[in-house]
Amino acid sequence: MIGAVGAKTIGGVNNIGRFARFVWQSMIASFRSCLSPCTYPLIWTQMHIIGVRSVPVVMITGAFVGMTLAVQAYDQLAGMGLEEHLGVLINISVVKELGPVLAAVMLAGRIGGALTAELGTMNVTEQIDAVRSMGTDPVRYLAAPRVLACLLLTPFLIIFADLMGIIGGYFVSVVVLGINSRAYWNFSASGVELWDVSIGVVKGFFFGVALAAISCYKGFTCKEGARGVGQACTEAFVASFISILALDFALAVIFKSIYNTFWPLKSLV
Amino acid sequence: MKQDSNQDRTQDGTNDGVIVLRDITKRFGGKVVLDNVSLGIEKGKTTVVIGPSGCGKTVLIKHLIVLLRPNLGQVYYRDQRIDNLSERKLNTIRTHYGFLFQGGALFDSLSVTENIIFPIRQHCEITDWAQVEDLVKAKLAMVGLDGFQNSFPANLSGGQRKRVALARAIALNPEVILYDEPTTGLDPIYSDVISELILKLQRELGVTSVVVTHDMTMAYKVADRIIMLHNGKIIADGDADHIHNHPHPIVQQFIKGQVGEDDLAVLRMSGTASQAQFLPRDFQ
Ligand SMILES: Nc1ncnc2c1ncn2[C@@H]1O[C@H](COP(=O)(O)OP(=O)(O)OP(=O)(O)O)[C@@H](O)[C@H]1O
Ligand SMILES: [Mg+2]
Repeated sequence: MIGAVGAKTIGGVNNIGRFARFVWQSMIASFRSCLSPCTYPLIWTQMHIIGVRSVPVVMITGAFVGMTLAVQAYDQLAGMGLEEHLGVLINISVVKELGPVLAAVMLAGRIGGALTAELGTMNVTEQIDAVRSMGTDPVRYLAAPRVLACLLLTPFLIIFADLMGIIGGYFVSVVVLGINSRAYWNFSASGVELWDVSIGVVKGFFFGVALAAISCYKGFTCKEGARGVGQACTEAFVASFISILALDFALAVIFKSIYNTFWPLKSLV
Repeated sequence: MKQDSNQDRTQDGTNDGVIVLRDITKRFGGKVVLDNVSLGIEKGKTTVVIGPSGCGKTVLIKHLIVLLRPNLGQVYYRDQRIDNLSERKLNTIRTHYGFLFQGGALFDSLSVTENIIFPIRQHCEITDWAQVEDLVKAKLAMVGLDGFQNSFPANLSGGQRKRVALARAIALNPEVILYDEPTTGLDPIYSDVISELILKLQRELGVTSVVVTHDMTMAYKVADRIIMLHNGKIIADGDADHIHNHPHPIVQQFIKGQVGEDDLAVLRMSGTASQAQFLPRDFQ
């Protein structure tokens, strides 16, 4: 019993260590890739697969988030006669929290799963060993372009999600529920600051790296066979999801303290 | 284990050679796959490794390029110890190698041409595409696949994939080529073409080759030296004649393709009336 717990713990710590090393290696490899133009085509390809093709799903996610928020929050605010404040509520939730997090979760499902399955299959069919046998670093050739593409594009995808969330919220509030358009935007503009939008977008860098690194790592270390690949995909999604939420919490705390340091008075108002 | 050490090569003479394995032991879990194996691969010669399925030939050949690292023992390339190098340093050394994987290991998202130029692209700036196209054409023609430049691995037959993988392994004119079962899945004619190709590369470019195979015709044809692996040890080592007349019964069984008495006994016992027979109707 104690032995089993001990073995599990050691296994877990080992895993974390290997993951940390993998992240470190892919950071270095990504940095090097940025400096050498001959790897740009690889990055372009991944950007196309990862970024461009994710735009529709991310926009749909954003739109529904905005619309749902409007429907749910309207009754509460209308009960207090504050329905014109709906814009602040919707837009701040969308740009600060729901847009980035839900877009990242969507990407973890869409890209993370595909990355793990692709690299996992390459692993079990010895294609990763083939890369090594030809004197190329698989982390640099396979992981770095994917991590870079996620790092660079997740923030943009989040902007798309935010945009559609705002439009969706506007559509339901103003067009369907009949709130005065001018009031809606006025309250939104006074309530949502550039800071709020920026932290949502900055979160995207962290979410992008986290989900790409986890998915690539799971693909590189996946076990033999079809079941091994399937299991790696599941683990990659669960791990990405949890780390996105955990990162979101950590970043919220950090950004709040930064905000309070620089604008101590504003938070009191 | 060695019953005929006066005839076989002495295994301590492994210092000379391009690649030297010294006292290699490799375990997977508790299972010992290579048991204290020492081997020197001579420059410009073709060394053939034979042995029953599952005896560790692939594991052995992967140690020569350090795709697997030994649990015990050392690997040397040109007198430099390489089994303890970092992957980064190994990558420089690996550019001197060509490796044909048993399963081909073609990149399935790249076309045949892109597969073949992969090693070129990784290590040289391609400036002259016409020259590269000529090279791809020449390499594909060598394995009888000119015209397949734009196909994808998924649309090729097993034997064709193997040949493309071979073309990729020889693309950079490496000094050492490791072939893991180059003729498995090929018809007899193409097997002979591959044998000729190996001989040609050795004659014209002085390539050092290691060939893992079950195909004795090929083994006799290309080998300067044949090594037989059994239960994780080298049980026979010498030129084709030496192996052909080797006194060890397991070697004789293997090269003649005869089943041993023990295996035969198991076969005879199974499926007789004395044992339970399970037929579909029994379960209805
Ligand atoms: N990655 C691995 N993990 C666990 N066991 C392994 C691994 N690779 C090989 N083995 C074991 O090592 C033994 C030798 O395998 P190897 O692939 O070298 O056989 P082989 O001689 O090449 O056989 P074949 O002629 O069928 O290709 C097998 O019993 C296999 O179970
Ligand atoms: Mg094998």
